[in-house]
Order: sequence, then C-alpha cells, then structure tokens
Amino acid sequence: MPYLLHPSLATCPSRIQIPLPLTTTSVNQIRTHNFVSLVRWGNQVDKSIVGVTMTKTNTKIRCMANPRRVKMVAKQIRRELSDMLITDKVLQHAVLPEASLGADQYLSSLTTISEVEVSADLQVVKVYVSVFGDERGKEVALAGLKSKVKYVRSELGRRMKLRLTPEIRFIEDESIERGSRVLAILDKIKEEKEGAERKQQSDSSAVHEEDSELDDEDPEQGIIYVE
Amino acid sequence: MGKPIPKIGSRRNGRIGSRKNARKIPKVVIHVQASFNNTIVTITDVRGQVISWSSAGTCGFRGPRRGTPFAAQTAAVNAIRTVADQGMQRAEVMIKGPGLGRDAALRAIRRSGILLSFIRDVTPMPHNGCRPPKKRRM
Repeated sequence: MPYLLHPSLATCPSRIQIPLPLTTTSVNQIRTHNFVSLVRWGNQVDKSIVGVTMTKTNTKIRCMANPRRVKMVAKQIRRELSDMLITDKVLQHAVLPEASLGADQYLSSLTTISEVEVSADLQVVKVYVSVFGDERGKEVALAGLKSKVKYVRSELGRRMKLRLTPEIRFIEDESIERGSRVLAILDKIKEEKEGAERKQQSDSSAVHEEDSELDDEDPEQGIIYVE
Repeated sequence: MGKPIPKIGSRRNGRIGSRKNARKIPKVVIHVQASFNNTIVTITDVRGQVISWSSAGTCGFRGPRRGTPFAAQTAAVNAIRTVADQGMQRAEVMIKGPGLGRDAALRAIRRSGILLSFIRDVTPMPHNGCRPPKKRRM
C-alpha cells in the first residue's frame, strides 16, 4: 500500500485500478479512505487526491486539478476548438453542409464557440455553441457537431498535450440571442418614449417642457451584461 | 521625400472620397475583426475605402471586458450610428477571426434595421505558408 502515495503517482492517469494481487489481501469489503494527498508538480500543487475507494477487485482514485490549471486548460481548449471550426474542412462540412458544394464564403449560418467549461478533474468538457441563422441552420449545425464528437476529441488529443483527452459535449448556447432580444426590446421602448416625448413637446407650450424630461429614465440601467 | 506626389489619375479616384459628408452610399461593406480580446468593426464602401470604424476598446471597455459579446454589440452599434444618416440600405458583412464578436456584432447589425445581403467569412487561411508560432505549453 505505500505505493499508493509513491512520488511517481504524479505521472499516473487520474484513475488507476490496481489489480487484486497487488493490494493488501486481508481486505474483503469496501473501504473508503477520505484523505487529501497533495501532489506537487513543479512549484504548484497540480492534483490533489481527494478520495480512495477500495473494493475487492479494484481501487479508484479521484484526482482534482488546481483550479488555475483548469482555467488555463479551458482557455486553451477554446482556442483550439475555435481554430478547428474555422480551419478544419471536416468540421466545416459538418456544420455547414453547403460548404462541400463550394459555397463556403457566402454563409447561411455562422457557428461560434461562446464558452468552454471544464470539470474539475479535467475529464468532461462542455462546449457552448452559439449559431447565428434561422431555425433549420441551428439544427443542422448542432446535429453536425454532435455527430463529429469523436473526431473532435481525437483532433484535440493530437493538438494538446493532456494526460487524458476529455469527453466533449456540445450544448447550444442561447444567452447571446437572449441578450440581443432584450436589447432590442429596450431599444424599442426607448424609441417609443422618444416618440411620445417629441409629440408631447410639439403639442404643449414651453412651460410643460420640464415635465417631459422627468420621466425620461435611462433604459441602459436594465441591461443585462451577457458574457 | 516627405509626402508622395499623387498622380492625376489616382487623384480623381482617391481624393473624392475624403469629403466626409458629401456621399450617399446605398451599399456598404462592414468588416468585423473578432479576436479573443477585442472586436473591431470597420465600415467601408464596396471598393474598400474606409468610412468609419469603431472597436470595443474605443467604446470605453478596457481589459478583459473588450472581448465580451456585449462590447462587440456596442462597437457595432456605434459604428453604424455614425453612418446611419448617409442612406445605408444594404450591407455585406465580412467576418474575420475567432472570438465572440462574430456572433454578437452580427446580431447587433441585424437589430439595427440594416438589410444584410451577404455574410462572408474571410479569416486568412494560408495554403501552408509561413510557420506559425510555437505551441503554447500548458
């Protein structure tokens, strides 16, 4: 059992299964150790082992990565995936089927990766995709991306140096569209108010001009900042 | 040599465009360069001569907020507002680069009431030319 905390653990994948003859033989039931063991990688704590579950046949170890590293990996994945969306022919044909016919410069829909969320153990990656275009374009783009998940995962593994290439899930992101809709409504309200004000000002005399300025509230106050 | 002396032929083509308020342009090209940290929206005419431009940085956002989609929206709105009175009806949009500005600026342009005729992606893609910078080590 001392080899569980061996320094070479730093180079192991995050889930190791130790076969039966190598574990202590006196244990037959499930034992769970909850301890935190910090693995140092360079100067920062890279992974911390937060739990060890031992059953009769195998032992599972869960590793949590440093949150700063998680953020950096997420940023790098975002760069790689965006680059892949623009450059890679296979992905482009999946997202925009008419690109295979040659119409790749004049687009009917535009796909953007708005955010990438990585789980704490760097095993699951949720990619939020935003599609500009009509309903059919959105469905086609998302279906195309979901059908190419394995290809994307292998491409990502080839481009990035990670111990274990994470599982990728594509999710549709509606936040930009919702933000745009909210802004459109706010603009419409502002225009209506200005129209009403102008009408008021043109009918009334100069004395009433001060009243119309009081109810001119700032529509920008209600803006939701969408990131 | 200080200023290059323009030839008579090019003077006729290039100089007329520098009068700011004399042109009425029905068709316009909007270039959106969307990088990860910023979005630049440039409005030019069909031949490529710049009419006006705006970016997320000039709209008052600084630092990491320039890369957000809201900043891209305000940049697009700002750029269009300066040329709104010149009679723009149709616009063609050319998008360059990855980044959130692609989507957000497009939506803002569509929201502002201009008719979008074409959307093109003109991200520069080498046919395997110059060597790219080295890969970042994570």
